[in-house]
This record gives sequence, C-alpha cells and structure tokens, in this order.
Amino acid sequence: MAEHRTAKLEVQGLHKSFVLHAVDGRRIDALNGIDLSVHTGEHVALVGSSGAGKSTLLKSVYRTYLPDSGTVTLRLATGATVELTGLEDRELVALRVREIGYVSQFLRSEPRRSVRDTVARAGRRRGLDHEASLDAAAEVLRRLGIGENLWRSYPSLLSGGEKQRVNLASGIICPPGLLLLDEPVSALDPANRESVLALIAELTSWGTTVLAVFHDLNAIERLADRVVLLSAGTVAESGRPTDVLRTLTTFEGPIA
Amino acid sequence: MTPALRVDGLGKIYGPGTAADVAGTGPGFNRVVSPTSGGIVAAWDVSFEVGPGEALGVIGESGSGKSTVMRCICGDEDPTTGSIRLASVDGGDTDLRTLSAARRRALRVDRLAVVYQDPAEGLDLRLSAGGNVAERLTAAGWRNFGRIRERASELMLRTDVPLDRMDDPVREFSGGMRQRVQLAKALSNNPPVVLLDEPTTGLDASVAASVLDLIRDLLEELGVAAVVVSHDFSVIEMLTQRVVVMHHGRIVEAGLTDQLLEDPQHPYSQRLVGAARG
Repeated sequence: MAEHRTAKLEVQGLHKSFVLHAVDGRRIDALNGIDLSVHTGEHVALVGSSGAGKSTLLKSVYRTYLPDSGTVTLRLATGATVELTGLEDRELVALRVREIGYVSQFLRSEPRRSVRDTVARAGRRRGLDHEASLDAAAEVLRRLGIGENLWRSYPSLLSGGEKQRVNLASGIICPPGLLLLDEPVSALDPANRESVLALIAELTSWGTTVLAVFHDLNAIERLADRVVLLSAGTVAESGRPTDVLRTLTTFEGPIA
Repeated sequence: MTPALRVDGLGKIYGPGTAADVAGTGPGFNRVVSPTSGGIVAAWDVSFEVGPGEALGVIGESGSGKSTVMRCICGDEDPTTGSIRLASVDGGDTDLRTLSAARRRALRVDRLAVVYQDPAEGLDLRLSAGGNVAERLTAAGWRNFGRIRERASELMLRTDVPLDRMDDPVREFSGGMRQRVQLAKALSNNPPVVLLDEPTTGLDASVAASVLDLIRDLLEELGVAAVVVSHDFSVIEMLTQRVVVMHHGRIVEAGLTDQLLEDPQHPYSQRLVGAARG
C-alpha cells in the first residue's frame, strides 16, 4: 500500500538563467524546467556532474538566486502552503528565519562574532531567548565536536572543517522544517564527518525535510531516501539511492 | 503589518524644474540633469518600506541619490514630491510633509533618529559626551537630572565610551569615539526608526570594524527599523536583510541582500557588485 505523505517542498517547471550584462548580455541557462517533490521528513540527495545545476537548484529554492519562471511551494509548520518565487521580499526574510535552513560549503560567518554567539544568534533569530540560545548553541556545538576551548574564538580563525561545523550548527539549531545542504561535510575528516552525518540522520528521523548535495556516495547511500540525478538543468532520473547510483556509475562515470 | 517607515514616490529636484522636467533623466539616459529645465533630478520615484527589527540597505555609487533620499526622509531637505510615513505618527496615516516645520523637527527627538557620516552633524562638539545625550533626553521631556545622568552613563557603557571621559567636550574625542557618542545620542530614547548614512566611512579599518559591531548589536537588541546607506558591501551584508540599488537617482533593483550580492539582475547592479567583489 502506498504510503500517504504530504509534499513539504514542491518545485514545478523551475527555470533559472544568468544574463551577464558585462559579457555582451551572454545568457547561461542553469535550470531548464525542474520538477521535484520532496515529502515531509524525506531526505532527497541531488547528484549530477559539475554544472548540472545542483547548487543552483538549492539557491533558487532559498531564493539567493532569483528564478526566471516556475514555482517553489513550501508547506509551512502550520500546514499552510506558500509559493516562494513570487513572495514579497519582506515576507521571505521572515519566512526563511522560521522555516528554512541553508548551509553552504563555504562559511559566510559574520566577522568578529564568537563561535558560540554566531550559533546562538541563529537560535535567537528562530525565537529562542538569550539564555536558551546559549544553551542550545553549546549543545549543538558539542554534538558536532567543537570543543569549549573554541567557543570564544572568531570563526575566521578556525580550520576549514571547524568552520564548516559552525556553519552547520547555525543551520540546525532549532531545526527548521526544511534544510538545504550544499556539501556540508566536504572539508571534514572521517571522525567529524561521522558525527555530522549521524546528526543529519537524527534530524531527518525527527521530521526535518532535507534536500542535499553531497560529494561522497557513502553519505548519500547512508542518509538519502531518494536520489535525484540532475543533468543539464533537468531531472534525468529519480529513485532509490542504490538504483540511481548504479545507473550513475555505469553511464555517467564518476560523479563529483 | 504596518511598516515602521514607508516612503512613496519620493522625488527631489535641485534647481529649476517640476515633474514635467524629469523626462530624459535617469539610468536610461545616463544623466541626472534635466534637458528641459537644467535642474538636477537627484532622486525620483523612490519607494520602499521598512518593518520593525528590519534593516534596509541603500547602495549605489557617489551621486546616485542615496544621501538625498535620507535627507528627504529625515527632513534636512524638502522633497519635490512623494510622501513619507511613520507608523509612530498617526499610525502611518499622515504624510510627514504635511506637518508644520516645528512638528517635523520634533519627530527627530524621539521618532526618527539619524546617524551621519560626520559626527559633527549629529553632535554639538562643544558639549561633553554626556551633555550631548542629555540634550536629546531633555528635548524629549526628561527633567530629572539624576535619571538623565544615569541613562547617559548607561549609554556610554553600552557604546564603549570610557565613563571618565563622559564630561569631556566631544571635540577632544577621536573620530571613532565621536561616532560612538553619536550612536549613543541617536538611540538614547529608543526611536523606532534610525537612518544611518555611511556610519563607518572615513574611520580607520579597525575603528570602523568596532563601530560596525556596535551598530549590529544595537540594531539587534533594540528591534528598531533601520535604513543603512553605505557604499561598502561588507557593511551592507552585515547589517541588512534587504537592499535597494540606486543609480542616477532611481531605484534600479530591490531584493534580498544575499540575492542582490550573488545574483544581481540589473546591468548596473552587476557592475557595482562586480567592482566590489572583483
């Protein structure tokens, strides 16, 4: 019997191109009509060769990139649905804080704000009071293996792997309903990678919906419920991780 | 939700000319001087809203009209056309331009604070740091000297101005410290809207950084609505959630700050971001 689940995120006919006005108005088509539905509590991994549109799709959902056409519909915690591509900027700012976490592989931390405060601030923006935000930050930093000796440092002084975990900690403190992950473990050593993957798995089991791009196949096999293969800005295939990954290694050569 | 500040169709022409003389100016014509009247169309058709707890950035190169817009909002300049509304004035029903000059000035005391690039514009340099804050509080109706002094010390502490310098005249202060005093004064009686015009420009890098940190923390703590004019993208990125891009007196693009910096749409925005980012 088919499991009845609601779509947390529904992407329909999404197109995104970049027009480079400084280069004679050259146009680069990055997404060419993406249709994708992610269920509540599902972890969907995006795969495909470099330039296939994986990061562009994540950023177009978050609206760091402004899509040309198509719709992105998000089901909120309240059960109502909102279409993001046409949402007023002011409303989108508020909605991001409450409902969507975006973690990129690059740490864009604010300068001169301590590690713990960087993470705690993300919690405060999600509605925690000052005290609770510091506690929650401490907990998530510990879980990700960032020791107390680093909490008062500025993230800019940390190693790449440490930065990446601070970044992730900010993204998942008070877990949002939808988490967009763009290679969140690319700079991590095996032990730390392990604790991050375990935490992501735990979030999914608690109902957080994840749309992710991972470099490594093991992470995908372990975490993803479904794998979506992108090719030239369209969905080429979608299915169980083992099936899609097999097609991939057979026909496309190594991904990533 | 009523925005804390709402600007509609704001325009300012310096020199001769009316709305009819705006044609032929703007980004499409690459000029701000009206071909018919010779007047300078410094800003035209500028509209935006800012909500409580939100910061809107205004970016654009020198002469794009950023500061003109700020000066029109705070009343330093009288706009040629358009309306400016504050939620704190008649719930946003009244266009501030219809108010008397006296009433308009009074708003600067507790509804709409301005932090200028040059602290000399926002402070009386002959007065002490505490005196500058006291001046604002007295204007706002504070009468108890002890309470005023207490509030001033509180603000000095918060803005890292050494308490033992509170009674020194501000003209003896360094640029960074003057800017801190200006912030203390502007925020002394919790105005719901704050306009910051290049608040860190002209300061040494390290001093600018500490002033910027202070602004960031204050905006976060106080939940005010802020408009931040800066040509420095790191300032905009750190303080604001939304941005408008101005060019030749017009808003050519509006969007989320991260979107504008990563995926600017307008040719001018692309050039501006490209120049800053390399």
